[in-house]
Amino acid sequence: MQNIIIGQYVPGQSFIHKLDPRAKLLTAFLFVIIVFLANNWITYALFGAFTLLAIFVSKLPLRYIYNGLKPILLVIILTFLLHVFLTKEGPLLLDWGFLKVYEGGVEQGIFISLRLLFLIMITSLLTLTTTPIDITVGIETLLGPMKKIGLPVHEFALMMSIALRFIPTLLEETEKIMKAQSARGAQFSSGPMKERLKSIVPLLVPLFVSAFKRAEDLAMAMEARGYRGGEGRTSIRLLKWSGKDTTLFVILLLLCVSLLLLRS
Amino acid sequence: MDITIKDLEHSYSKGTPFERKALSNINLSIPSGTFQTIIGHTGSGKSTLIQHLNGLLKPTQGSIEIGDFKIQAGVKEKRLKALRKHVGIVFQYPEHQLFEETIEKDILFGPLNFGVPEDEAKKRAAKLIQQVGLDESYLSRSPFDLSGGQMRRVAIAGVLAMKPSILILDEPTAGLDPRGRREIMDLFYRLHQEEGLTTILVTHSMEDAARFSDDILIMEKGGIALQGKPETIFSNPHSLKKLSLDVPETVQFIHRLEERFNKNLPHSVFTLEAAVDAALSVLQKGEDS
Repeated sequence: MQNIIIGQYVPGQSFIHKLDPRAKLLTAFLFVIIVFLANNWITYALFGAFTLLAIFVSKLPLRYIYNGLKPILLVIILTFLLHVFLTKEGPLLLDWGFLKVYEGGVEQGIFISLRLLFLIMITSLLTLTTTPIDITVGIETLLGPMKKIGLPVHEFALMMSIALRFIPTLLEETEKIMKAQSARGAQFSSGPMKERLKSIVPLLVPLFVSAFKRAEDLAMAMEARGYRGGEGRTSIRLLKWSGKDTTLFVILLLLCVSLLLLRS
Repeated sequence: MDITIKDLEHSYSKGTPFERKALSNINLSIPSGTFQTIIGHTGSGKSTLIQHLNGLLKPTQGSIEIGDFKIQAGVKEKRLKALRKHVGIVFQYPEHQLFEETIEKDILFGPLNFGVPEDEAKKRAAKLIQQVGLDESYLSRSPFDLSGGQMRRVAIAGVLAMKPSILILDEPTAGLDPRGRREIMDLFYRLHQEEGLTTILVTHSMEDAARFSDDILIMEKGGIALQGKPETIFSNPHSLKKLSLDVPETVQFIHRLEERFNKNLPHSVFTLEAAVDAALSVLQKGEDS
């Protein structure tokens, strides 16, 4: 339960923590695109170096990154296996009758798994070093121009910040209800699978009830304080683009150029 | 079942930057049948302590013995479910745990989980719904149609239906109106006496603590600050003031009475009636002389 790190900001004073959220968002966004440029060992090594450097600079305990990876480890392994067994390129490495493993498959498997790994690491790094509110303000300013074509950017940002804000609350609530039902004999973490599945209802129903109640309370509280949407609303958080952010972009640009030169 | 807690320590999120020691150095024994009250400010570790008593939290150091169950740091107790059958917990705002379509089903949830036969469980539900102050016609209604106070009563019935021998109450009356508060506390106390329960009450109300407890434990910053019988604890208002806690209103009243009339009065005056009697005795003696 505590392993999901979305919205779990780890306070810190590192270079990455202090970056402008817009810079971090743009970087993460660009990273997601350019990671597809990598197509040989050297370009993947370059991405690996960039990711590890970022993690190192952020000074986050490695365990956090690992915890964030754990839930999708299975997906990565599955992707790897699918590629290994389904890609039929290059010389044959293994032959077990119906299962044939080719060199191209292994290579492809490793590449795709690494790609997933880097993506998750960089995006976790974004959420681990930036408060959810900063992320939302960042998104809102970045998408600001879209307001002109009638996109409800502010509403979207607000929805996101509310959603992010309530993830920890809901987790806490879940834990509380789990405890209360465990005390009444429900089994969540031990016992036969059938028992465990059955105990999902006593968990989900109260959770939904309280989530709806919270939503209603929040709406009421916002209305009571005169909230009326984005028009003319100023933000208490002013974002400042600094030299650090420019540095980040120079590094990113270098990465892009070397990628284009080194990819095959 | 006797409860013995030895050198209990608990840290949340152990081994992370968020590590926080919630309890340390707790030594406590609660003999079977005791009404034990735990008082302390928010964040003093009360809720953490009681969650150890049925294995919802595991100690990071030390051990807890409940009857012949033993929970020890680093040792996995396999009979947690059996233990939980004996230890009922009414959590803060227990109405949040309701989930069934009908009130009856919700009350039955605990007993059925612990293997009580259905007809026996239904009998308990019918009896308990009345004991908590609702009538039997409620059994077939949805718990979500009720008012907050009624939901609280149903949730409490759901815990009592397990017939625990140890009943743990975590601020069971928070947010109720004065009348509901009195009714619920009286119910708990009656059950405590009739069924010979061991009751552990976490509360902020000095009045409740004074009226019902055999023993009071005052916690501060994850440790035990004071422990003793209500008479002893409340006879020394200064040590309570130091912990920014108050003595019950009746005791305050008696102290003022003593000052005013320069007399020594018994300090174990914890109910309104007893306070009235004490005041009357002072006044009558005044008239006699």
